[in-house]
Amino acid sequence: MNPLTGKAATMEEWLDHLRGSREIMENVTHWHTLPARPARTAPFPQMLDPRLAAALGAKGIETLYTHQAAAFRAVEEGRHVVTVTPTASGKTLCYNLPVLQCLLTEPSARALYLFPTKALAQDQVAELQALADAMEVDIKTHTYDGDTPPTVRQVIRNAGHIVVTNPDMLHSAILPHHTKWVKLFENLKYIVIDELHAYRGVFGSHVANVIRRLKRICRFYGSAPQFLCASATIANPREHAERLVEESFALVDDNGAPAGEKHLVFYNPPVVNRQLGIRRSSVLESQKLAASLLRSGIQTIVFARSRVRVELLLTYLQELTKREFGSKSIRGYRGGYLPKLRREIEKGLRSGEIRGVVSTNALELGIDIGQLQACVLNGYPGSIASTWQQSGRAGRRHGSSVTFLVASSNPLDQYLIQHPDYFLGMPPEEARIHPDNLLILLDHIKCAAYELPFESGDTFGGEKLVDLLEFLAEEKVLHETAGRWYWMEQAFPAHGISLRSAAQENFVIIDMTDGHRVLGEVDRFGAPTLIHEEAIYLHEGVQYQVEKLDYPEKKAYVREVNVDYFTDASLAVELKVLHVDKERESPGGAIVRQYGELMVTAKPTIFKKMRLRTHENIGSGPIHLPEEELHTSGYWFSFSEEEAAARSANDMQSALLGLANVLVHLAPLHLMCDPMDICVVPQVKAVHTKRATIYFYDRYPGGIGLSQRLYEKHDELLAEAGRLIEGCGCLSGCPACVGPIEEVGLLGKDLALGLIQSAAGASQ
Amino acid sequence: MSSLRDRLDRLRAHAASVKEAEAAFREAAESSAGADARHGSESAGAADTLGAQETERLQDALGAQSDVRVVPESGLPDEAAGERTAGQSKAAAVEQGAGERLTDALGERLPDRTANGLHPALSALGVTEVAGEAGCFLRRRAVYPLEHRHGHYVLSELTSGAGRLHPIAARQNRAGRAAVSASDATASVQERIEAHRLLFLDTETTGLGVGTGNLPFMIGIGYVDHGERTFVVEQLLIRHPGEERAMLAYLLGRFADVTHLVTYNGRSFDWPVLTSRFVLNGWRPSGEGPGHLDFLHPARALWRNTLPSCKLSRIEEDRLGIVRSEDVPGSLAPELYMRYLSDGDGSHLRGVYVHNERDILTLASLAVHFGGLLEGRLGAQWALPSEPEELYRTAAWLEEHGGASHAERLFEALCAEETQDGRWLLPAAARFKRLGRLEEAAALWERAARHAEARLLPSAEAHIELAMHYEHRRRDPRAALDYAERALALLQRRSSLRQSARARAELEAVRHRMARLRRKLEAAIRSG
Repeated sequence: MNPLTGKAATMEEWLDHLRGSREIMENVTHWHTLPARPARTAPFPQMLDPRLAAALGAKGIETLYTHQAAAFRAVEEGRHVVTVTPTASGKTLCYNLPVLQCLLTEPSARALYLFPTKALAQDQVAELQALADAMEVDIKTHTYDGDTPPTVRQVIRNAGHIVVTNPDMLHSAILPHHTKWVKLFENLKYIVIDELHAYRGVFGSHVANVIRRLKRICRFYGSAPQFLCASATIANPREHAERLVEESFALVDDNGAPAGEKHLVFYNPPVVNRQLGIRRSSVLESQKLAASLLRSGIQTIVFARSRVRVELLLTYLQELTKREFGSKSIRGYRGGYLPKLRREIEKGLRSGEIRGVVSTNALELGIDIGQLQACVLNGYPGSIASTWQQSGRAGRRHGSSVTFLVASSNPLDQYLIQHPDYFLGMPPEEARIHPDNLLILLDHIKCAAYELPFESGDTFGGEKLVDLLEFLAEEKVLHETAGRWYWMEQAFPAHGISLRSAAQENFVIIDMTDGHRVLGEVDRFGAPTLIHEEAIYLHEGVQYQVEKLDYPEKKAYVREVNVDYFTDASLAVELKVLHVDKERESPGGAIVRQYGELMVTAKPTIFKKMRLRTHENIGSGPIHLPEEELHTSGYWFSFSEEEAAARSANDMQSALLGLANVLVHLAPLHLMCDPMDICVVPQVKAVHTKRATIYFYDRYPGGIGLSQRLYEKHDELLAEAGRLIEGCGCLSGCPACVGPIEEVGLLGKDLALGLIQSAAGASQ
Repeated sequence: MSSLRDRLDRLRAHAASVKEAEAAFREAAESSAGADARHGSESAGAADTLGAQETERLQDALGAQSDVRVVPESGLPDEAAGERTAGQSKAAAVEQGAGERLTDALGERLPDRTANGLHPALSALGVTEVAGEAGCFLRRRAVYPLEHRHGHYVLSELTSGAGRLHPIAARQNRAGRAAVSASDATASVQERIEAHRLLFLDTETTGLGVGTGNLPFMIGIGYVDHGERTFVVEQLLIRHPGEERAMLAYLLGRFADVTHLVTYNGRSFDWPVLTSRFVLNGWRPSGEGPGHLDFLHPARALWRNTLPSCKLSRIEEDRLGIVRSEDVPGSLAPELYMRYLSDGDGSHLRGVYVHNERDILTLASLAVHFGGLLEGRLGAQWALPSEPEELYRTAAWLEEHGGASHAERLFEALCAEETQDGRWLLPAAARFKRLGRLEEAAALWERAARHAEARLLPSAEAHIELAMHYEHRRRDPRAALDYAERALALLQRRSSLRQSARARAELEAVRHRMARLRRKLEAAIRSG
């Protein structure tokens, strides 16, 4: 290390320095090293168009990685292909190569690219266009999304060779207007679906149905496109692709890209209060590590779990390093920044001008920011797959990289940091979808009927179509004549059906410090806690105070301030049973289960002013805002008075919590949904039942049928929960069963199992 | 499958609640967008079109118009048919798909059916069944002598007026939107607009927007029958979606020899909907398609600021002398058709027939009206608009459409106006400035400046224009400085209420100008 500048010449030198630092190493619970991996390459396929080979050569690409060559071969054989390789392994060439090869020989051919977000789509267009320009051929690539101006839309419909869009746009703008896209659909050769893993749970189930509609339209125009998919690492890529697209797929997962040595360091902040077991804040520790990396000239990305944490970390880091760097070289990145700002930051990261970035999981997806050298995760990202994705942001093809996982004090983080083998031994999560969920299926049958009338003999999804069509005809949504079902409503069905749960409406934040300037935006659910009046809204590390929140108009007016605190709002969440539709008692009477309508309300109550850096509470104030309501369907079961009487309130609490944690894992498995789609809430004395109760509800307005299916599978679900707890190899609880000891206590595992067994015993 | 049935039953309850929500959504959409939503969701310009309109009931309407013949097919030999389908239309935007021989219903002599099997309410309206190779549909035909008067105008005026419409067509059918120069008025023969080659068209659809699920269940067309000296309205109706193909095939036949479709918002609604239907039924677009004469655009240009809306009914009543009473609003048509679909009772559709027929006739009236404007009738045969704003907009519209000399007359009349309404002053002054007629512009700016000073929160545009005028044109820095100072005072009045970057820039510019003028004045004093 250079004694004058304190800068490390290489990452290795910095790591050596780190290993020598007792202060740091004391807190490192595990140091995992993934060895470097050499490149495995294959020559360009013989049939590769010379223009394409030349264009690649100009970019310095002389050979393909083995997975790229394998994907190319499989596509040439006419197969649907799904490619699964880590970040920065040259995944896009796996589909771009065969697509461009085809377009070079067949200029009338068309390809459709789907990305889950607009930002990803724009990156892709730039890359494709650069390749096409290098070949000096007329291959037109266009994004088609909500921002595309109407005048350009016409051109894209007729002349775009590659149309890059997102599933929402396909659902609400392209498919219902397919007659304007005759050229595309008649000549569609390839459909590329990147970030396949993003299409899971309810969102994925919707997208699977959009793909059913897409294939149906292709058949109408006489095309049968090949699907080329790419996914980040998940446990079941091929199965997921086959469920989503309903075709048989070839899997390409033999990654030939080289990788430098990679260090994964598990870091637990030191205990500062032994009696209470309080650890130092993970925010402050992450900041310390990141600052050290940045000072040594190592380009670093920091991931934090919330928007406020991102801004806090950014503020601290900018301050700590302001002598070394200008404020423009360490930036924040999160949803809510305007697109232009985000593009600027991405570009700065690629060029190396920006040395550090603090981000939410917004940078987890494949946005091109080049490869960084170091990554600091402030808290466990919540899933194995996300952790690998985020950590993959650091890692170059040559030279070492490092990822720090800095544990927060929450029980799951503490478990993982103390049991690193658990984390390292677990496969990434599965992506699950259930496209035949009746509510979702029916919605898309409506959309499909709007697009083209159904004929008897048609199929759509796994349920008996005729029954569903007759149902819709009885409801006067469709009109049947001579074995054909026609759309016969005034409404435009796609408008009422959103593929995503999150409300699309955003609050705009307007800075009034100097005229009126749109600063950013906040989604509807974030608004009550982030931009209530008097809140300190942090944007790129600058403080703004919210002066007025115009709730109906969805605008927040802010002014720049300079104060030494940030605000933290409390949200009171309540669960109210509105209506019980079904009820059943278990034979012995130990458990009563119910299904019905729930109202979940979230009301911001007060906000606290927290001093910067020390995070001490220095004041508070009320928040006056309407409640946010989620009216949905739910299922809950409660234990009898006898069961409650048989154990102490504390034990009941642990048992319920443990059981709920098990059900959190099991429910999504049964429903083929994402854990985010369904909520599980244990209550020792619930308002509605006055008993110990576990609630499940769909996180979708109106409900989406998930808790209803759980209600029907109740017995099976509980039996399986018992088997899972019994079969788990851990001693007294782990995240794979009832949860870590820190959460459910030493006896949590036994208590939960005891509760299930005694309830089951009562019915014998 | 019983379990599925079960689940469906359960869904019914859910569907009911969703329906409620949808109904509420529709209501909200309708109340906010009015009937606008029906026409063209894609075009923001599709704002006000068909809405609540009023007319007499069909019986009254027919009774009052003794010159109309509503002709059941069996009674009237349809000579036009043979001619019209003799050649495949150059103009038609859709041609037959591969293997789709378009022997339309008219090409061969139609088996004239009586009203057999038709609902009596439809028979009473004169509706008959038309059968062709592509299947059956219903047609109602009403024949008006050209002497028929619809509001202020007589249909025969179409024959002379149509030719004058060329500048509108040229503007709407050219790729770029270049202003039409005077030379365009002498159109080549092919581009000439002839009344008998126009097809007036208005569709009634089952839903909103131009998506593929929106079905035109009634297509109303009107055309001049040269030989017979009549204006024919045909209304095509399908009894169910299965008849659509036959109706479209018939419509394609009607496109033969048609150079332009005359519509109200047809460019963004009726035509895209029809194109979509053709594609869905196997035809593929080729070529440019027929030209458009979409009267929504000129109607907006003329009346946007002086009529409460540019709905057809409003224009009929306030500008064309047509009174509709007891009209079925166009927005109700989808619901009436759905009732007809479910119970087959043709009487639900009576109101829709009347409404649609009126729209077709009104399109003809509009053609006469716009033709007359372009011919220069305003201020000659026709009285000038009473409101200066409309006079200004008409003049500007004529100027854009190659009617410079007619426009000049209107502008002269406008300058002579003594009125409190000053909105038109600045744009009119800008027009004179553009033409290099600065003294006339200055006179209007002076008026605008007087208007501005009388207002609470005035604009300083006129003062700034005058400051420039006096500085550079009249070489009178003192007068220029006077205007600049007054402009500053006005701007300060505004900026005390609303700070904005633009306001600051404006203030800065005026201060800059004042400083320069002061230097000029000082220099003048020193040197002379």
